[in-house]
Amino acid sequence: MLNPVQIETYSALANELIPAAEGMPSASEADVPTTWINTALGYRPDLVEAFLRSIDSCRGEVPARALENLNANDTEAFDALGVLTSGAYFLNPGVKELLGYPGQLPVPAHDDTETYLEILERVVDRGPIYRASVST
Amino acid sequence: MSNAHLIQKPRPETADVLVIGAGASGSVAVRELVQQGFSVVCLEQGDWTPATEFTGDKPEWELSRQKQWHPNPNVRQNPSDYSVNTDDSDVNPLMFNAVGGSTILYAAHWCRALPSDFQVRTQDGVADDWPFSYEDLLPFYQEIERDMAVSGLAGNTAYPDGGGYPLPPLPIGKYGHKAASGMDKLGWHWWPGNNSIASKAVGHRAQCLRYGACLTGCPAGAKASTDLTHWPYALELGAHLVTGARVSEVTVNAEGLATGANYVDREGNEQHQKAKVVVLAGNGIGTPRLLLLSKSSAHPDGLANSSGLVGKRLMMHPYAAVVGTYEDELESWLGPAGQSIESMEFYETDASRGFVRGAKWNVMPTGGPLGMRAGYGGRPIEESFGVNFHRNVKTVLGKSFEWGIIAEDLPDENNQIVLDSINVDSDGIPIPELHYKSSENTSRLIDFHVDRAVEAHEAAGATTISVTKLMRDCGWHLLGTARMGDDSSTSVVDQFGRAHDCPNLYVIDGSVFVTSSGVNPTATIMANALRSMRHLAETHTDQKTAN
Ligand SMILES: Cc1cc2nc3c(=O)[nH]c(=O)nc-3n(C[C@H](O)[C@H](O)[C@H](O)COP(=O)(O)OP(=O)(O)OC[C@H]3O[C@@H](n4cnc5c(N)ncnc54)[C@H](O)[C@@H]3O)c2cc1C
Repeated sequence: MLNPVQIETYSALANELIPAAEGMPSASEADVPTTWINTALGYRPDLVEAFLRSIDSCRGEVPARALENLNANDTEAFDALGVLTSGAYFLNPGVKELLGYPGQLPVPAHDDTETYLEILERVVDRGPIYRASVST
Repeated sequence: MSNAHLIQKPRPETADVLVIGAGASGSVAVRELVQQGFSVVCLEQGDWTPATEFTGDKPEWELSRQKQWHPNPNVRQNPSDYSVNTDDSDVNPLMFNAVGGSTILYAAHWCRALPSDFQVRTQDGVADDWPFSYEDLLPFYQEIERDMAVSGLAGNTAYPDGGGYPLPPLPIGKYGHKAASGMDKLGWHWWPGNNSIASKAVGHRAQCLRYGACLTGCPAGAKASTDLTHWPYALELGAHLVTGARVSEVTVNAEGLATGANYVDREGNEQHQKAKVVVLAGNGIGTPRLLLLSKSSAHPDGLANSSGLVGKRLMMHPYAAVVGTYEDELESWLGPAGQSIESMEFYETDASRGFVRGAKWNVMPTGGPLGMRAGYGGRPIEESFGVNFHRNVKTVLGKSFEWGIIAEDLPDENNQIVLDSINVDSDGIPIPELHYKSSENTSRLIDFHVDRAVEAHEAAGATTISVTKLMRDCGWHLLGTARMGDDSSTSVVDQFGRAHDCPNLYVIDGSVFVTSSGVNPTATIMANALRSMRHLAETHTDQKTAN
């Protein structure tokens, strides 16, 4: 869990990375700093340290400039920040809905052969394309 | 999977056969030999991976696939993994260390090699021929396809008639149709992909539920990983599987015959398993590593290495990805992933192209919104973030697919595995060190194929096309590092996998490949393993052993 100071710094960074645009909410509007980032951190404990480092190093800075510095000077921390923020954003069901992405749901496989047999016939008509074994 | 219900006989002090590695080839060996009445012990450094552990049906899927379920052991760093030094390699080797081996993570594209793949020297004047033909392997392909319950459509014009498949093909989906429409316009070959994924429930496997997550383990239990296709039967028949057992050395007697193997158990204790015959199935990296670790006065350069070829001629199929985005909704997060359709249009050699050999193409879905996005650091921020964050996702998600190109790389002795002289795994055993560079022939081959794949996307109406000519994380096919052949000075094992220098040692994994073909290799690895092990069983009365 992030403390209030970390949430404040992180919100500014996250909104810089994922602003409201193209009909999509910003990271804060999608509850990333308050909710989903914690879930994402739980899924990726290996990134916690680098993520917290990214926030600490940006505290009190102008977000855009702080991100540029981080990207130039600590790519590992920037990666952690980028992956976790993006991943957290897509965990929000409302975001998935806006994107029309249902998530990975079970859809039993069905046979769709009938739908393409006609154009596959043309491949068959062109005949074999392999080279046969030759006797040595 | 729990096998607690099985009442096992005590593990034999001396096994008839000791198999090292419980992956694709090791599973075939154990099942075949135990069926034939041999006492079989298998040592596997990994563990079981129950379907409930896979994240493909869970919210964490996309985050976990970049770490816990990443195919690169150097990234994943599970206790069962060993690192691989890749400082001098263009490509990272990919694998999984568990019961089922790399089939736990494989994409299950099921491809036989073609007749010309066994005759590269005769037909194309380069590299070497295999010591047997496509026709020799065909009955074993067919048998393994039944064991793996492959889904596919008979009649592919890229292959000689080899009969049908046990299950009907999987759906090619909207993206498969889109890709096929482009190939149709161009008059190029395509065919619905064969996959070792169950289109209907069969054996210990459920029906495919079209999670686009095959590469991180199938949560439905539909994919033919050998923990499901082979191990339940082998254990019922009395095979002995020791998990968490990392083999450090194949032991030999003064004559140089194999006597068993030393391994480190899960508690860190050194153990020894005696055996009359030892079968190596540790994959194209694990097996040469073990051979090189097993130095003795009888085998001073490593076990079975009088030819000097152990670890050499590594082939990994450099992979190019050409992704097209479309205006239409293609539901390209849906699986299986898996090959939707394939093309062999440019598979066979055409000297006028300026290179020899070719590549299989496969259409694959592109997954969820996060995908493999990572490694942002050091790149311009606005490329991936800000307004472009949303634009990129909206352009690609559900509206794109990949033409993947499996480039055949030819054997080259400079591409090799040696033992790292400094770094060791968690049990203190030297890790393998890879040296691998893509050749001029491969570069030309990839350039040509990428250009054609761009045309295929254009013909299908793609709005944008992006090309990755060589994916670094693409070493999923580990081949050639203990090649077979008839001549003991130019090969490590004979056509049945028996080591020329050590008649009670067999190698049956992808290491034995003479050339790599341009298709995914597991069908060939498993068919070859079956052929080898049946030969071992048939000739066991003449088998020389140490005891
Ligand atoms: C991400 C991914 C996708 C793939 N997709 C496809 C595909 O679509 N189609 C296809 O045909 N192939 C595919 N492959 C390749 C396929 O998985 C391999 O070809 C196949 O599994 C190799 O079989 P094997 O028996 O040689 O080795 P593996 O299956 O890798 O098994 C080797 C086993 O040996 C064990 N082992 C190694 N060393 C030791 C030791 N010292 N002590 C104890 N145990 C040891 C390992 O733990 C492992 O379990 C893919 C692979 C990956 C990683």
